[in-house]
Amino acid sequence: MAITLLFAVSALTFGAMNVLGDPLFNILGPIARDTSNPKSVKLIEKAKNDYNLDKPLPIRYGLWISGFVRGDMGVQFSTDGQPPVTELLKERIPRTVTLLILGQLIAVLVSIPWALLSASRADKFVDRLSTATTFMLVALPGFALAIILKYLFAIRLGWFPLTYRALDPLQTRLFQMLLPGFVIGLPAAAIYQRLLRTDLITTLQEDFILMARSKGVSKPRILFKHALRPSMFSFITVVGLTTGALIGGSIVVETVFRIPGIGSTLVEAVLRHDFPVVLAIVMIVATAFVLINLLIDVVYTIIDPRVHR
Amino acid sequence: MSTQTPTTTEAAAPEPGEAATKKTLGIGFWVCIGWLLVMVFVAVFATRLPIPDPKFNFIEPGQAGPSKGPSTAHWFGTDKDARDVFARTMYGARVSLTVGFIAIVFGMFVGGTLGILAGFFRGWIDRIFSFMFLVLLSFPSLVLAIMLTALLDRKLFTISMILGVLAVAPVGRLARATTMQYAEREFVIAARSLGAKNKRIIVRELLPNVAIPMSALALLGMAVAIVAEGGLAFLGLSVERSITWGGMIQLGSDSSKTLQNQPWIAFFPIGVLFLTVFALNFAGDRVRTYFDVKETSL
Repeated sequence: MAITLLFAVSALTFGAMNVLGDPLFNILGPIARDTSNPKSVKLIEKAKNDYNLDKPLPIRYGLWISGFVRGDMGVQFSTDGQPPVTELLKERIPRTVTLLILGQLIAVLVSIPWALLSASRADKFVDRLSTATTFMLVALPGFALAIILKYLFAIRLGWFPLTYRALDPLQTRLFQMLLPGFVIGLPAAAIYQRLLRTDLITTLQEDFILMARSKGVSKPRILFKHALRPSMFSFITVVGLTTGALIGGSIVVETVFRIPGIGSTLVEAVLRHDFPVVLAIVMIVATAFVLINLLIDVVYTIIDPRVHR
Repeated sequence: MSTQTPTTTEAAAPEPGEAATKKTLGIGFWVCIGWLLVMVFVAVFATRLPIPDPKFNFIEPGQAGPSKGPSTAHWFGTDKDARDVFARTMYGARVSLTVGFIAIVFGMFVGGTLGILAGFFRGWIDRIFSFMFLVLLSFPSLVLAIMLTALLDRKLFTISMILGVLAVAPVGRLARATTMQYAEREFVIAARSLGAKNKRIIVRELLPNVAIPMSALALLGMAVAIVAEGGLAFLGLSVERSITWGGMIQLGSDSSKTLQNQPWIAFFPIGVLFLTVFALNFAGDRVRTYFDVKETSL
């Protein structure tokens, strides 16, 4: 199933790029339209030959996909093809992955205590306040949150650096990613908090909680030891499913904080009409997304014994 | 809505018309709707309202810098080209609301049609459409939107259609699930045994039932589309040569100096965008609770 899906996704992406777009024009620029000039015609012929544009679409797809799975994603149209797309992405992907992991980590670490606090005081003032806060965080678009946090913590308070610098040592770069990580993590934390809070409230009404309470188990102990684990199932699923949305969010965050990851590279490539780069990034992201969802299904069956058939 | 056992007060007071048990949309809902109506009014009548020209450069001779803070003449201040931020924010509502509206109407129509057909006929039609939804959902939505804007042009209608395509899969899945739920019910069997054709069953029996949960999602979907348009505009990939909230925010934050010295350029559009999205989300959430729509297929 996952293989069929990936095949359809790649064929669709490749087809759209080549049918809706005009690769020849993107390689050569205005020369591609100038068929009366023999000099241009020569260049057109050469480009067609170099980039396999004279072959029919299915064959080009076959050539491209076989290169792609072997790790050869072609050459960039702009910058005279150097560095090749694979090299470019090899340098950029780790930054985006670091950012996403940091964002998820922040989201999980923030949301669990927050949900426990809310659920233990359900419908009291603290809970209502936190529900209102989650509503606001969800309604705030990623780029707006990025600018607000950048303004408050980097410009006004000066706690964090303004932008990312690729040449700094590792710890410094991780520190530079902290604020972008919060921009990605906080809206996700709001989603997780809402979900976990609802599940916790349901769990807290179960008989075994009443039992524990009547035995005199302290409230924090009930929350952490008894209620948390059985409430985590849908939480874990949603953490997985949200990863895809976070990839979208990282595009904007990378642009605001000038992090050269794949998100900002995608935007640059789109603005320069550099199709091999766009194609490679879209494919990598879609593949990662499909694989993550597959992984979630597997993990879910392992952790929740009730799903076993 | 919930799986909790009904409380004693609800069980003891089953009479209709009881204030405690009667479901209402609440005052917050109407405040949100009020804000949205104001925004729609501003967007429609922007040219006729007494607000400054959004493209005029308000530069006076002998003035120090072009950008000024909020004042009585320019409520939200002026931007780097000395244009009125308040006027631009009001005009920005036009693109955002138009794109959001067209996108969700398109998504509802296409997604709803495909979903109902898939849920009603099952078999290979269902398999093809469900696979299509799955393929569409394999791309993070912003990535798909960016890819499509790269390939197509950046006119208002094209951007709206692209964001509409993003809504097709979630709406389609909901329509499919709801249709399957109702297709087995007695009133459908009754209609069929009376000799009703498939077309009549779909239009007269199923559509009214499927439309309720779908319309409850319309406001939430519009919020998603407006946020996506804002993101595209912020990245410089939305409607060309027109005033957008995302574009204004980008202009006010592209250098840290601007953000530090003239924060109003970015923050007023952020505020209005936030209030609009918040209003749509809140109202949508209330409507969904009111109609008791489950999020099973999202």
